[in-house]
Amino acid sequence: MPREHLLKIGVSGIRGVVGPFLTPQLTRAFAQAFGTYVGPRRVVVGRDTRTSGPMLQHAVHCGLLAAGCEVTDVGVLPTPTIQFYTARCGARGGLAITASHNPPEYNALKMFNAAGLFFNHYERSELLDIYHQSAFREATNAEMRGVTRDADAPVRLHIEQVLAQMDAERIRARRFRVALDAVNGAGAVMTPHFLQHALGCELQAISIDPGKPFPRVAEPGPETLGDLARLVREQGCDIGFGQDPDGDLAVVDETGRVLDNDDVLAVAIDAVLARQRGAVVVNLTTSSAIDDIAAARGCRVYRTPVGEANVVETMLATGAVIGGEGSNGGIIYPAVQSCRDSYAGMALWLDRLAATGASVSALVEGLPRYHRRSATVGFEHGRLGPLMQKLAGRWPEAQLDRRDGLKVGFADGWIHARASNTEPLLRIAVEAKTEARAAELFTAAEQVAADPSAILGG
Amino acid sequence: MSARSGESLRISHVGLRGIVGRGLSAEQVVDFASAFGTFLGGGPVVLGRDPRASSVMLREGVIAGLLACGHDVIDLGVVSTPVIQHAIRRHGAAGGVSIGASHNAAEWNALKFLGGAGTYLSTAEASELLDLYHLRRFTFATWERVGRLRQEDDAIDYYLDGLASVYDLAALARFKVIVDCANGTSSRILRRLAERHGLRFILINERMGALAHEPNTSAAMVALQLAPLVAPAGADAGFLFDVDSDRVAMATGAGVPVTEEMMLPLLADYLLPRSRGKLIITNLSTTALVEEIAARHGGKVIRVRVGRQAAMDAMAIYRPEEIGVAGEGTGAVMIPAFRFVYDGIASMLAVLSMMLERGTTLTEILAGYPRYSILKGQVSFVPQRIPAMFMELERRYSDGRVNSADGLRVDWPDTWFHVRVSQTEPIVRVICEQKGEPPRALFDALMDQVRQYAA
Repeated sequence: MPREHLLKIGVSGIRGVVGPFLTPQLTRAFAQAFGTYVGPRRVVVGRDTRTSGPMLQHAVHCGLLAAGCEVTDVGVLPTPTIQFYTARCGARGGLAITASHNPPEYNALKMFNAAGLFFNHYERSELLDIYHQSAFREATNAEMRGVTRDADAPVRLHIEQVLAQMDAERIRARRFRVALDAVNGAGAVMTPHFLQHALGCELQAISIDPGKPFPRVAEPGPETLGDLARLVREQGCDIGFGQDPDGDLAVVDETGRVLDNDDVLAVAIDAVLARQRGAVVVNLTTSSAIDDIAAARGCRVYRTPVGEANVVETMLATGAVIGGEGSNGGIIYPAVQSCRDSYAGMALWLDRLAATGASVSALVEGLPRYHRRSATVGFEHGRLGPLMQKLAGRWPEAQLDRRDGLKVGFADGWIHARASNTEPLLRIAVEAKTEARAAELFTAAEQVAADPSAILGG
Repeated sequence: MSARSGESLRISHVGLRGIVGRGLSAEQVVDFASAFGTFLGGGPVVLGRDPRASSVMLREGVIAGLLACGHDVIDLGVVSTPVIQHAIRRHGAAGGVSIGASHNAAEWNALKFLGGAGTYLSTAEASELLDLYHLRRFTFATWERVGRLRQEDDAIDYYLDGLASVYDLAALARFKVIVDCANGTSSRILRRLAERHGLRFILINERMGALAHEPNTSAAMVALQLAPLVAPAGADAGFLFDVDSDRVAMATGAGVPVTEEMMLPLLADYLLPRSRGKLIITNLSTTALVEEIAARHGGKVIRVRVGRQAAMDAMAIYRPEEIGVAGEGTGAVMIPAFRFVYDGIASMLAVLSMMLERGTTLTEILAGYPRYSILKGQVSFVPQRIPAMFMELERRYSDGRVNSADGLRVDWPDTWFHVRVSQTEPIVRVICEQKGEPPRALFDALMDQVRQYAA
């Protein structure tokens, strides 16, 4: 029977169901480990709108203060705004209290370094060692600093930074009709302000009360954005944006269709490359459409293992001008900041609409067309190796990439199989130029995964 | 020999107390708050703190633990313990937490836990809280029942309403009073008292934060900065508060420091005639002048072991209307009108009211009492040798009236001594009092005898 993942403490931080699992004790200890690791200086702390947010934030403050850190409390803000301000205000690090798209009973800590970037693998391992050894710095009364509140500067500075990278006048001149579903999350106050006042849009917004519970499933997608799609159609909007509780983005076209996350990323990448040539970085499971778009602009694409930290690391190393992850629609535009930033994403989309005069659906129609399939298959612990072997052996002629699970490349498509970091689940993604080829590859991959002889290594 | 843990951390029925960073850690704060949140029934919890830098860290941990257990938290900010106790009753709250180390030096801090009536926990309740803490078995709320925090900025005003219902505050404005706030919470309260009721205070060490001197309420601390200023300022009296304003000490208008032992007898003399209750509850280490005062007003003294917990347990035995006053020789006194919380501000107002009623000076009032001289000493000890020490002392002083409820107290007519082991520090305390001249010979002999068992 699969274990329920009610609490996870690992290299990605701490995440769990609030109450018996994610406790103030664990949170305080993790924050004190973080404070010990980054040193007795300023740390920025913000959160999304979950009911458990204040409780966990006070536990985080307690741990940070105990380690001698000075806490800058920025309150309820989207994660990219917290990251931006962490880098901007000279802090040693930042913490966002958010479980992103997970259900409301969950919460989690996301950790950022002084540059506002997610901790890389080595930083996370060192932090985890401090946590496990309880090797905390314990400040004395004389060394103890306090908590200051700073709610306005982060929003103002982040929006200024986004606008500086766009032709904001051109966007404002179009007076786009924009629909928004902010899920009563961390973007509930900032996003309407951003769209209406900074970008001059006519806004039709729902779920923008940060004091209310999430009115829908937190993860934005075709099944959960029905109200937004209706709003777009009824109000005749040019575009709809759906956010998750910490500000991540989904896009709805003018007909009310929720776009594929890969397409959301592809249009943003095209928008940047249209203005500026340079390297592109995406993860291994992102659509090949990116390769075609970059090739058309004479730009190079680098592929990385899945995970924002991996993409960002390679972006910094290659000096990439744009990147992201098709799997979650995350857009990373380093001119704004080197992390997934939905505000940069929204602005890039509106910028592209303004530059081309095209509709959202027309922009998506213009993308190189690929057909995608995906599924998640359970496996028994210890049988992952034989399963991967069998997948690799099934297509001896194909090109193999083993940096993140196994990616099997063909001239006209690919299969990517990777194990979840948290559960014994194999995620299989397939893409091909034709629907028939995608179906063929997908069926073959699923058969291998489901074949008991493969699991037995036969 | 390495430092004993008792020197930097003490977890007991009184709560959690220690040197921040050396003994008292954030871990214990969150655990204790979670235990308290588990211990209390439903309802909000009132929170306040003293101005120490580390109190902010403790506050954050306490809020986290209480919210996690499903309690709403009402944070009063930087206020005295009596203000917290007053707010608990006003809100009908489930309980309260006072953050602050009171009369301890700056590097210390503590959590004090208060029950639904605003009183300290009884020994039985405190035991249950300790068990929950030690078991680490906390009852956390599910995500939709996690508590909410709200700030309340006007708790001091409500508290002053309470004081105004007992004292004629406007009439007290005739006095000019100089106060050493010891950089604690009293400055906020006294400023507001002056604004609202016209009382005239000159405040020193009134900035909350770094402590200008040790915040204890001994006569020596009165003599340090306050006493020399009283006469030059033309004040009628001087008062010194500890950081959380539950203890108070005095200087006369002539600038003479008054021993902290005097606060309880003085207030007993004022309160007993006006009260139906004739009992004075105090501990075995407090001056025998209390018995003389009790006799003047047909009262009776109940002596209990040293420590707030023993006083609380003794008070629980009697009906509230039987009790006239309770307190100890440290300047901490409880007045029945304030439902038995140690309250230095209320004590100061009682002393001023007494001066008003008698139409005389503090010096004159004090001159009406016979002189008692008290000597106090302390010796660090070896735990294994304590029983033998008490056996020896009891054998040696068997001609007196022996009370072994808390260490050893021996009484003769007009003389007594009390030797006991401190609950908060690894020391033996020796206290010796005599009517008239100091009992120097007895005190020196006792100190010699105790030192033979010392570390």
